[in-house]
Amino acid sequence: MSATAATSTQDRQKLEMVALSAPAVVFTVAMIAFPVVYTIWLGFQTFSSTGKQSFAGLANYSKLISDYEFWHGLWITIALFVLSLVLQLVFGVWLALVLFHAKRLPGIVRSLFISPFMMPPVVAGMMWLVILDPSLGAANYILQSFGLPPSDWLASPTWVIPTVALIDSWQWTPYVALIVLGGLQSLPPSVYEAAQIDGASPFKTFQRITLPLLLPTIVTAAILRSVDLLRFFDIIYITTQGGPGNASNTLNIYGFRVGFEFFNFGYASALMLTLTAIVFGAVLAFNRLRGAVAW
Amino acid sequence: MNDAANTDRWIRWLNTMQLVLAGVLIMAPTVWMVLSSFKPSFEVTAYPPTLSFSPTLENYVELTRTTPFLSYALNSLIVTVGSTTLGLVFGIPAAFAVSWTRITWPAILTLAARMAPGTLFLLPWYVMFRQIGMIGSYTALILSHAVITLPIVIWVLLPSFDGIPRSVFEAAQVDGCSVTRILWRIALPLVASGVAVSAILAFVFSWNYFLFALVLSNGDTKTLIAAAFNFIGEGSTQWGALMAAATLIALPPLVLAALVQRWLVSGLTLGAVKG
Repeated sequence: MSATAATSTQDRQKLEMVALSAPAVVFTVAMIAFPVVYTIWLGFQTFSSTGKQSFAGLANYSKLISDYEFWHGLWITIALFVLSLVLQLVFGVWLALVLFHAKRLPGIVRSLFISPFMMPPVVAGMMWLVILDPSLGAANYILQSFGLPPSDWLASPTWVIPTVALIDSWQWTPYVALIVLGGLQSLPPSVYEAAQIDGASPFKTFQRITLPLLLPTIVTAAILRSVDLLRFFDIIYITTQGGPGNASNTLNIYGFRVGFEFFNFGYASALMLTLTAIVFGAVLAFNRLRGAVAW
Repeated sequence: MNDAANTDRWIRWLNTMQLVLAGVLIMAPTVWMVLSSFKPSFEVTAYPPTLSFSPTLENYVELTRTTPFLSYALNSLIVTVGSTTLGLVFGIPAAFAVSWTRITWPAILTLAARMAPGTLFLLPWYVMFRQIGMIGSYTALILSHAVITLPIVIWVLLPSFDGIPRSVFEAAQVDGCSVTRILWRIALPLVASGVAVSAILAFVFSWNYFLFALVLSNGDTKTLIAAAFNFIGEGSTQWGALMAAATLIALPPLVLAALVQRWLVSGLTLGAVKG
């Protein structure tokens, strides 16, 4: 008797679990899983200028291989990704060390440090657009008052990608710093005491002890930033829309414009699926790396 | 001995200087934006840029006079509150079920939205919503933004639910409580602060999100973030009004984030880091 009662309780429990997760699962399938499958199907379709669609096989993907804009976009995406990630990790670790040694951090200071990455990227784009204006902006005034040559910043095909990387790094370096700070605070103090007894210099201690122990945290920060950097959109779309010319036309911007400016949904789908594969590939690679540096 | 104390003081001074330098670099652009928004229009574009001026609200008045700023703000509020509510209603029970059963694939599936580029979803949504005539509707905007809020709610709450000792639930089960009752009466009050953090983070990221509203909204349902794009086009020399708009758009997420700053970073890493 008790056995059947137990099974019925367990069955009821299972049913309740299904009921609890059902809304989220149904929503996720309808808004995420099904649309992705639909995009895969769209990738095999071609849309004529009149909007008529027909099956195209792998035509969109063979177009991809011979499309100069695709390879250019891929190069821009990777350049922006590497440049921003290096800037944010280097300065993030530096900032974390500074914060760590400051000992006491009042809440107001923390609030100020999180303010760049909590504001909309669109707002960051707006404010930097004004600061970096080539003729009237404050940035060039500061450069010139130090006797440095002014720059065209976002209006220069050469400098637009480094400039966008700089804006994004302004927004997200404090985020990386706070993650690394969390890692620093969780390191066992005993290893430092041992190093001090051995008379290791601060630099040697950092190089031989702190950095290796921090690597898993740094790689985690790198994963979280990579996901955003590879699909960079907001700041570029607000400031340059991919310009000047096509100098900041990342894959995500290019795919968006193919889809919603030229309404070629088939080719846009192929572009977006390729970009998604790149993002997932990067995450898997970093995950491997995190496994390798774990302690 | 004296030497060591001197070196120590020197190092501490060096560290403070670096902290101040970092603080200035982080704050200066935002301060400049706010200052510019209070400058008289002829001074905003003055070159060399001026620091001293008589503050005025002229840019804010101009902004509300020349653009439907308030109705955009109302649209933003409707979409953000709607999608945050949806995220909480779907996410809280799902996070509880995942924590209890250790069946994690529903939570992992929602992470796809955190990793894939938004356009990947926007292309099929556009085709689908167009077919049923929902482009420009609040419903379409709220549904699309719930894709942002749901993973935040689930992944912020998962560690909170995991932190409750199993014995608490087992005792309630012995007393004949159903799972649903345990969630509402016992688990939820214990993770109330986690719910607050997840709600605020969901609100901030939904408020800040640009891409979906750019395509799925129309003139009547445009959110502030999507409208910001038009502000730039219309007033390429109207820097004062542009900076007033930027300041007002950034205000709600910054105020909310300051409230939960202590728990914010561990929440933002979606469980990847315990802070």
